[in-house]
Amino acid sequence: MKALMSVAALIGAAGILLLAAMTVGIVPSNTVRLLEGYMPVQVVFELILFVAGFTGISYMMAAMGMAFPRFWQGILMWTFVILYLKFRIYPPIPFSVRAMYGAVSLVCVFMWVSANEEDWKKFKQPIMNVLDAKTGGIRILRYAYLIILPLLIGGFSYNAMVPKSEEPIELRTVHPAPPASTKVHGKTYTLQTSQNPYRVNLEGKYDQDYSNAMTVEQGMGRLMKPNANPWDKDAQGYLKYVREGGEIFYQNCHFCHGDNLNGRGLHAFAFNPIPANFTDPGTIAQLQETFIFWRVSKGGIGLPNEAAPWASVMPPWEQHLTVDEIWKVVLFEYWHTGYYPRTWD
Amino acid sequence: MGRVAGKKLFSIMALCAMIGLLLLPIVVSLPSLAIGADAPDAVKKEGAATVEKGRDVYYKTEGIVVGAPAPKTVDGPRDYPRYNFESRVLLWFANQQHLYYGSFVLAVPIFCMVIEFMGVVTKDKAMSKRYDQLAHDFIKISLTAYSLTAILGGILIFTFLTLYPAFFGYLSSIFRPVMHIYALMFVAESGTLYIYYYGWDKMTDGFLKWIHLSMSVVLNVIGTLLMFLANSWIGFMMSPAGVDEQGRYLGNIWHVIHTALWNPLNVHRILGNMAFGGGVVAAYAAYKFLASKTDEDRAHYDWMGYIAMALGVAFLIPLPFAGYWLMREVYAYRQQMGITLMGGLLAWLFIIQATMIGILFLSTNYYLWQALGRMRGAEKYQRYIKYLVFVLCCGFLVFITPHTIVMTPAELKAMGGQQHPVLGNYGVMSAKNGGINVIITTTILSFVWYMRGNKVSTVSWSKFGNIFMGVFFGCAYVNIIWLAIYGYYIPANVRVGLSVPQVATTLSCLFFMFPLNAAMMKGAKQMGAIEWGKISVRSQYALIMLATAFTWMMGLMGYIRSSVRLFWHVNEIMRDNSPWAYTHTVGFAANMISFNVLFFWVSILFVFWLGSLGMKKAPVEVKAGVPGGAPQPAGGH
Repeated sequence: MKALMSVAALIGAAGILLLAAMTVGIVPSNTVRLLEGYMPVQVVFELILFVAGFTGISYMMAAMGMAFPRFWQGILMWTFVILYLKFRIYPPIPFSVRAMYGAVSLVCVFMWVSANEEDWKKFKQPIMNVLDAKTGGIRILRYAYLIILPLLIGGFSYNAMVPKSEEPIELRTVHPAPPASTKVHGKTYTLQTSQNPYRVNLEGKYDQDYSNAMTVEQGMGRLMKPNANPWDKDAQGYLKYVREGGEIFYQNCHFCHGDNLNGRGLHAFAFNPIPANFTDPGTIAQLQETFIFWRVSKGGIGLPNEAAPWASVMPPWEQHLTVDEIWKVVLFEYWHTGYYPRTWD
Repeated sequence: MGRVAGKKLFSIMALCAMIGLLLLPIVVSLPSLAIGADAPDAVKKEGAATVEKGRDVYYKTEGIVVGAPAPKTVDGPRDYPRYNFESRVLLWFANQQHLYYGSFVLAVPIFCMVIEFMGVVTKDKAMSKRYDQLAHDFIKISLTAYSLTAILGGILIFTFLTLYPAFFGYLSSIFRPVMHIYALMFVAESGTLYIYYYGWDKMTDGFLKWIHLSMSVVLNVIGTLLMFLANSWIGFMMSPAGVDEQGRYLGNIWHVIHTALWNPLNVHRILGNMAFGGGVVAAYAAYKFLASKTDEDRAHYDWMGYIAMALGVAFLIPLPFAGYWLMREVYAYRQQMGITLMGGLLAWLFIIQATMIGILFLSTNYYLWQALGRMRGAEKYQRYIKYLVFVLCCGFLVFITPHTIVMTPAELKAMGGQQHPVLGNYGVMSAKNGGINVIITTTILSFVWYMRGNKVSTVSWSKFGNIFMGVFFGCAYVNIIWLAIYGYYIPANVRVGLSVPQVATTLSCLFFMFPLNAAMMKGAKQMGAIEWGKISVRSQYALIMLATAFTWMMGLMGYIRSSVRLFWHVNEIMRDNSPWAYTHTVGFAANMISFNVLFFWVSILFVFWLGSLGMKKAPVEVKAGVPGGAPQPAGGH
């Protein structure tokens, strides 16, 4: 147990030092990089390591007769989480989410330090000491708190309420709700039941499983399957339509949505927000193909009222493309990202 | 002897009367149910030319039109008469209060049934009496709340009739037979409840007690059916069936009742009601505990709070799964509705809901950890609590990560796009499923620790058992997290299906580890007694938090479910043309929900006070040994 805790303490100390050095710039901030695509798991893994490290350090200090007070353990743990979220994770997390995470972490720290009577007594002891103020020094500290705490609270309140020149927060919906049906080039499509006419097998029948087997594979990057190359001159059926969709995409869409469909096209950064990143699991991977068909056809201007603020300048592509071309582009987007459209079978 | 036989006869007759009351509405409604079959003949008699067929909007079957189209309302005093106030808010208030009380009076008899059953099967006579007394006290509170429920139901109907006459007229024209059955069921519920309550002291032992227990079963069957019928109305409003595109009734009442969302709503509501009822009772016990002046009372209310919490949480554990099923069916019914709920307009309310669910489980765990403090010998588990806190915290953080993030345009720019590489992954269902399953599994683990807190297993295979349990829980966590990650790499329909093995993993922890733990703890060495009443006050605040969070969440979910129809009274059939056919801001909705919660708690405190006026004192022999003589369900936490 002691050996295990020593290793944990060593990892914890090294991790904290490295993180601090990266944050203040003593070592390059990308020494330990967060890898795109693996970030979510990496973040959890790092937090587990840090908690193990803290436990080890705490254990070792107690074993050496220098037990760290529970009160400061709690405060430091919470401060660490806040700083980690603020400085470690890049791109930066918006304040609203950091506030949520911070509040939950605070509650969890409280649950930890008050889980049993003994710990709770240890935790509140310094607070009680200050309130009791039995020595002159602590009495001064109490008066200092009496002045500093209201000032801090007042300062935060003032800062929160004072009018600022920055743009206001927007409660923008990422996925505006689609209508039940949409009319494109004179034909009505029911979004719940319509299907992409080009998602077909070699016999020309609609076949989701067949097309799913042909999409690129996701791993370290996205890899095309050797037997499913749309640019093969002999490619037929689904793969041929993917190629045609790709040609339409690169003629019309990639300027904004990017070569890799990640929303970072040539013109992307002229907009805020930049165009949708189709490679993110939160976009087309969550939606039915008909949703994309509707969004592409109607563009930003065709979004429903309840989807405001729209913040989308995508043109209504029904004015420039045929229905077949739109379906093929949608087909290509799913193929290229390696995602499968949502179905309910 | 003759007197006993007379009592038996009376009891059986009372039970038969209850069953009769249960069947009465069905018998009475038979001609009404058959209206769909009769109608064509009736129409035929008038001549073939008058027969008009319509296509069911959901079932896609053809039927003969027997109803009028849904009215096309216009804003004005005819369709939307009003006071100088938003009619929708008045209706919201009336509806929510009726629902709170309705849920409470449906849940408490189920509680009573369970507690009375526990009393009947418990061999310990003192405990048996105590359980029986508890059940009796609760049905008494339920009786007072029942009257209030009926009054609130009346207020609700009057509100509908006076403020939304066109809509309610249409709804009642479709549900005419169902509404009559509902009214008759209400009569049956009332009759059964009174017989059950007033017959309590007449049927105390042996066969008569079993008859009395059977009455509670009948009472709960009626109550549940009542709720199912009421659910059919809201199910119809969300996902109409049995009518054509114009909203004309096609004569098949079963289609109208059995809509796409009826069954998921039924399951979700019955579990929700039970968890809510448990929360309210636990909060009542916590309040009484905090106000207690004697150790005896503290022991009693500590025990009561624990029982109510345990029953409530037993239904809380499967509740997220029922909710998941409901949302899945919503998505399958209308993608548009699902996206509005979880990715679009109402997405932030769903994040608040996730936060509330997290708070419920955190409160439960916290209570259980505090409860370890009243057991001598449970200290060995307390030093590991910090790890459970960490696991819960990680699960909670993932579970509440929003998909639609609130941010300033500057933050949006700094983020480099709308999708964050970390948050984007946590904000989708695959990760959230992992998060909630981790939370529930940890709650189950806390329960297992609590159940073995003051005991040391003496079975020969205890070492193997402990290792097996540890490995089982470890594998469960690995499986849940692995499936959550795997969900990103597979088609959406398969991903949705992954929730099944995840849920199965969580539930297998519940169904395998509880019995295994019980087997290991059979004849276990007691390290110390459970000292009822010697629990921290923080635990009682956790119970109050549990109940408040539940009440708030119920109000929130009701609002979400209702507002997902957007500008429809009946989705895609009858449009809401009142001036209030818009979605409230999140802030207004939150304030309104808080007001409803506050009103409910103030009024229920009044009900509790009324109930306490005639509360029986606990039997002297039971109280005598408190705290040592207080209930010691050592083998049956």
